[in-house]
Amino acid sequence: MTEKHLSSQFDSELTSICSKLMEMGGLLEIQIQNAIQALAQFSIPLADEVIQTEDRVDMMEVAIDHALTSIIARRQPAARDLRLLLAISKITTNLERAGDEANKIARRVKSIVESASARKMPIGDLRLASGMAITLIRRALDAFARLDLDTAVSILKEDDLIDQEFKGFTRKLITYMMEDPRTIGDSLNLLFLAKAIERIGDHAKNIAEFIIYIVKGTDVRHSSLTHIESVVQ
Amino acid sequence: MYSMLFRLTVLFLLMGAGAGFASLFKHTIPSVALGVALGSGLWLVWDTWRFLRFLDWLRRLHETPDAPPRLSGLWREAAQRVSRLLRKQARLTRESEARLENLQAGLQASPNGVIVLDEHTHIEWCNQMACRHFGLDARRDIAQSVTHLLRDPAFVAHLAARDFEQAVIMTSPVSSEAHPLRLSVRLCPYGQGRLLLISQDITVFEQAEAMQRDFVANVSHEIRTPLTVLAGFVETMQTLALSEDEHREYLDRMAQQAGHMRRLVDDLLMLSRLEGSPPPGLEDWTPIAVVLAQIEADARALSALTTGASAPQRLVFPAAAALPQAGEIAGAATELQSALSNLVNNAIRYTPPGGDIEIRWEAQPDGTACFSVRDSGPGIAPEHLPRLTERFYRVDSAFSRATGGTGLGLSIVKHVLQRHEATLTVDSAPGQGACFMVTFPAYRVRGEIAAGGAGM
Repeated sequence: MTEKHLSSQFDSELTSICSKLMEMGGLLEIQIQNAIQALAQFSIPLADEVIQTEDRVDMMEVAIDHALTSIIARRQPAARDLRLLLAISKITTNLERAGDEANKIARRVKSIVESASARKMPIGDLRLASGMAITLIRRALDAFARLDLDTAVSILKEDDLIDQEFKGFTRKLITYMMEDPRTIGDSLNLLFLAKAIERIGDHAKNIAEFIIYIVKGTDVRHSSLTHIESVVQ
Repeated sequence: MYSMLFRLTVLFLLMGAGAGFASLFKHTIPSVALGVALGSGLWLVWDTWRFLRFLDWLRRLHETPDAPPRLSGLWREAAQRVSRLLRKQARLTRESEARLENLQAGLQASPNGVIVLDEHTHIEWCNQMACRHFGLDARRDIAQSVTHLLRDPAFVAHLAARDFEQAVIMTSPVSSEAHPLRLSVRLCPYGQGRLLLISQDITVFEQAEAMQRDFVANVSHEIRTPLTVLAGFVETMQTLALSEDEHREYLDRMAQQAGHMRRLVDDLLMLSRLEGSPPPGLEDWTPIAVVLAQIEADARALSALTTGASAPQRLVFPAAAALPQAGEIAGAATELQSALSNLVNNAIRYTPPGGDIEIRWEAQPDGTACFSVRDSGPGIAPEHLPRLTERFYRVDSAFSRATGGTGLGLSIVKHVLQRHEATLTVDSAPGQGACFMVTFPAYRVRGEIAAGGAGM
């Protein structure tokens, strides 16, 4: 993952913190997957599992931050190492937030399962977007492990697709609400669900931006795609 | 030994020649010594020149593997020995490379995914199947830590615990809703702290297990429903004093439920018979006219029974005059007749009074034959089409049960047709009616139909 340093101890510390981050990423992938499966199958046990595991994600974030502080204080890293450590810190935050979104989905699923009317709403339409969100997070983590710029750029491009799905779904919910005001409560529940899925896509996009930052040293947040592509080449 | 003698001889000769040359001028001791020194000097120059040639060849050896330079004496032997050693080394390397390649090819051919992990659990090598199972890239992901790419917490915990006894079941990272991929992953230790990771695709096993579980649950449910009703009536008749009319009505309903259960058990037995018996051969030929006539008789009786005389369904069968030319079909006649009849009965049950049902038997130009049932019923939504032949799958379960369906009819049809290598295609859309088409392979039909090629 990184080039060799004079101190092999430092090397192993960097590898270990990357492994910790990937472990947190792995847990988070399962969290999102379970949350979305709970939604597709209206499964309360699965939703409960997500809500219970949320604590573990939070604890991992704290542990990674602690390790980061210790490394930066003792090693005073520079250049690429510093960028890597900073990016890990930011990626951890993004992962934790994506975990929060999974938690939110699980909670909404529980309230939807309990109300009979909500189950008649077009929940199936969320399947495509949720599948894309899972894939984006997985590819973002893969790209981090491989420091793969091509994948990072393609994630930035694909996040737009989720946004489009979200807009389409919102329009559909509006027609439901206009046809029958009794569905407003359920529609709002679904809207929050869709928003949570869309946010997971955004977090994947942020992770992709930090990968470019680690490799190229350029902060590409809030830049246009054409600018990012010129940086990567 | 001879080379050594030769060397010394040359040295002494040169020294002697030097001394002789010096003695030509003056017969003094110092001049002879000078001559000897001159001779040895000459020898040293010559020998050093040869040594340099040899060294030069050695230096350039790994860039341009030339033949050793033409040298004589000890230098030649040294050059030859080095050259022979190198050739042997090169052959050994080639052999072990070939062995390694064979070994890797063997692991590539494995139907399981194989990943070789070094002592720090970094990927050292993986085969194509492992790449497909885990979405790895065989070149790029070498030396990558395996837990960075296989992040499933169950697997990471398994690896950390160094549990080599049990396999861990996980969903592949490349699994999707359209292509689910479940893996059983095992770790085998070898060497010093090194690991071999073996992954096996168990998607099909899991699906089969789930299907079996569902089937047992469905059968129990299907049998329990009429049984509950039956038990309810029995209890009522035991505890309450009933009038003659009520008594008869209850008994009728009980008979109805018992009949439903009997049909269900019959269907289940039929299915298990179909699964257990060998496929029908090509020896038994039955005239298609006989099969179709029987189907027509059954269908008209059923249609009259269900819709009544007020608004009869219009049933269109192939003209009786054309039937004898239809030829013959090979297979189990009773099975075929009940399967095709089942399709027609379905059409009758689902088509409202006054609707149209058309049954056709057509020969195709390529020799195959097509039996089709087209109705003007409510049609089937596209999401149900792929699942129609699943056991106990019902588009509208209330309607199906009310008309005495067991939920197994189309499963039986599919089984019978599979045994006859025929295919079932369904073409339908909501509100458009439905068309069930059965295509028999060319080698199962013969006679007029193969030659005529005309529809009826």
